Amino acid sequence: MAGDIVLGFDGSAGAEAALVVAVTLARAFDATLAIVFGYEPNPMGGETSDYQYQLKQLGEGFVNAAAAEASRLDPRVSVEPLVVGLRPVAALLETAVERAARVIVVGSTGELPIVGAILGSVPHKLLHHSRIPVLVVPHPD
Amino acid sequence: MTMELGWPDAPPPDQGPSKGLKVGALGLLSSIVIGVASTAPAYSLAASLGLVTAAVGLLAPSVMVLAFIPMLFIASAYFYLNRVDPDCGTTFTWVTRAIGPKTGWMAGWGILITDLVVMPSLAQIAGQYTFLLFGANGLANNRFWVGFLGVIWIVIMTAICVIGIELSARTQVGLLGAEIVILAIFAAVALARVYGSHIAGSLHPTLGWLNPLHISSTGALAGAILTAVFIYWGWDTAVTVNEEAKDTKRTPGVAAVLSTLVLVGIYVIVSIAAQAFHGAGFLTNNSNDVLDALSRDVFGNGWDKFLVIAVLTSASASTQTTILPAARSALSMSVHKAIPGRFGTIHPRFLTPAFATTWFGVLSIVWFVGLSLISNEVLLDSILALGFGIAFYYAMTGYACVIYYRRLLFRNVKNLVFVGLAPLTGALILTWAFLDSIFVYSNPANAAGDQTWFRFIKFNAHVAGIHFYANGLGPPLVIGLGLLIIGLPLMLAWMIRHREFFRHTAEHAESLHAAAPPLTPGAVVVTD
Repeated sequence: MAGDIVLGFDGSAGAEAALVVAVTLARAFDATLAIVFGYEPNPMGGETSDYQYQLKQLGEGFVNAAAAEASRLDPRVSVEPLVVGLRPVAALLETAVERAARVIVVGSTGELPIVGAILGSVPHKLLHHSRIPVLVVPHPD
Repeated sequence: MTMELGWPDAPPPDQGPSKGLKVGALGLLSSIVIGVASTAPAYSLAASLGLVTAAVGLLAPSVMVLAFIPMLFIASAYFYLNRVDPDCGTTFTWVTRAIGPKTGWMAGWGILITDLVVMPSLAQIAGQYTFLLFGANGLANNRFWVGFLGVIWIVIMTAICVIGIELSARTQVGLLGAEIVILAIFAAVALARVYGSHIAGSLHPTLGWLNPLHISSTGALAGAILTAVFIYWGWDTAVTVNEEAKDTKRTPGVAAVLSTLVLVGIYVIVSIAAQAFHGAGFLTNNSNDVLDALSRDVFGNGWDKFLVIAVLTSASASTQTTILPAARSALSMSVHKAIPGRFGTIHPRFLTPAFATTWFGVLSIVWFVGLSLISNEVLLDSILALGFGIAFYYAMTGYACVIYYRRLLFRNVKNLVFVGLAPLTGALILTWAFLDSIFVYSNPANAAGDQTWFRFIKFNAHVAGIHFYANGLGPPLVIGLGLLIIGLPLMLAWMIRHREFFRHTAEHAESLHAAAPPLTPGAVVVTD
């Protein structure tokens, strides 16, 4: 489905803001909106099976709620919620490349840059690694 | 345009929200790194070398080799049981499947308390070696300040695990590489100086140091094995994690063999070099900070700090590989309704089992502070106690493997050896070390410290030719066995109110290669 809009969604306020913009874009381009939640447990801890199961449940809750919200915002946009077993940045890049996406949309967390540098900032990494245009939606605050 | 796919009420089943899990592709090098880093060689040596020499003197290197044998056998059980679940499972899940929910619950409890018991030692060594790094040798021996720094260490490490900060694979390779190179240089310099110049109390290594048959008593052997099992603890991660490797046919085996060689090699060479330098007595007398004491004499001014740094990076890796699996075991037990549901929750922002992790951190601090208040030696005793927990749940894993695959064992020789005999032998050796150590540590004189607990327990009897004798109990026995036994009433209390988990029935495997249907959380076979 070339030309999809890929949205990274983690349930945060920033992601909610990005969802609104992504729905508008999907409507404008008449494109499918893929809502992606990505995760991958740290292999250092071992024993990942049940942890992955819980993460998957959480992620499905996020993307399904986001899909419902997208349909409420604009029922004409076709939405596809996805849970991907890769770290957030890898999940977004992989999905976007696979679908030859038009743009990747993410929300900013509104954190101080130093916090992002320590905790790892998804928008920051995406901007450096993506070959597909990235749209960062400002945090609502 | 209408809602073509009918979102959001009824997603078509073939386009459900899940794309399915992609297995993380791990290379050979990262597999080895994870295995060896989880074992934390520098920290393990710092914590236990003096205890092994206390038990067997100059035969410490032989114990390093000998203790690896049951670990290798149990690793085979891990390797085959790991096929039961599509992804890495837990001893808790495996034992529940193979033997039954009550035994499975106790195995899970064994993992939790073992992880808890190692925390004081990690915090103590982290606190002590941080002071040593900055030359504050006085503070390094001050119980209050070491405890203070140790608590801060646990808080920081727990926070890292709650927030989910991960080092990049490259950083991990770098840190582990440095740790091993520093240990190797330490051993090389120590041996060169032993042969090159006259060092007070130094000995030339002999082959006899590697001969376990010279160990004087079976009690000493059992105690030494239980301690040495601790130094290889975590190595099994290399085997389980490997299931996710890029080339699942070759990588797991090769990584397991290579990490084995690295570990056994490091432990044997460093223990030989360490006791050659000043003799075994020096190690025993400095068991609290054995690597630092040696390093100062081997390297001298300034250079000795490298070994201190290696112990610290090693301890930080080990703290993480203690907190993460503890939280995940608790999560696993909670998902299967064996403990309260809160432990299975995932923090929506950090995506970690934050509740279970925080609880583990808090309990670790309580346990660490409590033990520190009693005495410094109790921390050494808790390393001895650790062996009980590790031996318990590793042995359970070995038995679970044999029982789970019982119908396949006699299909061919390979099955018989790797799925049957190896796990069974490993489990039997660990069971023997566990039981024999009960006798050894029921005598307070065999503990690291000079404390006697439960002085009112006194008996002296001969039953079936075995001499049962007690005059108070040693702290390692009370901590190690006591915490395991506390699990029983806790399990019963949970069982009375929440039957669901305990309705699981034991299964067995029909094939060695097909993944078993997942032990679905909540889905239960009702038999009554």
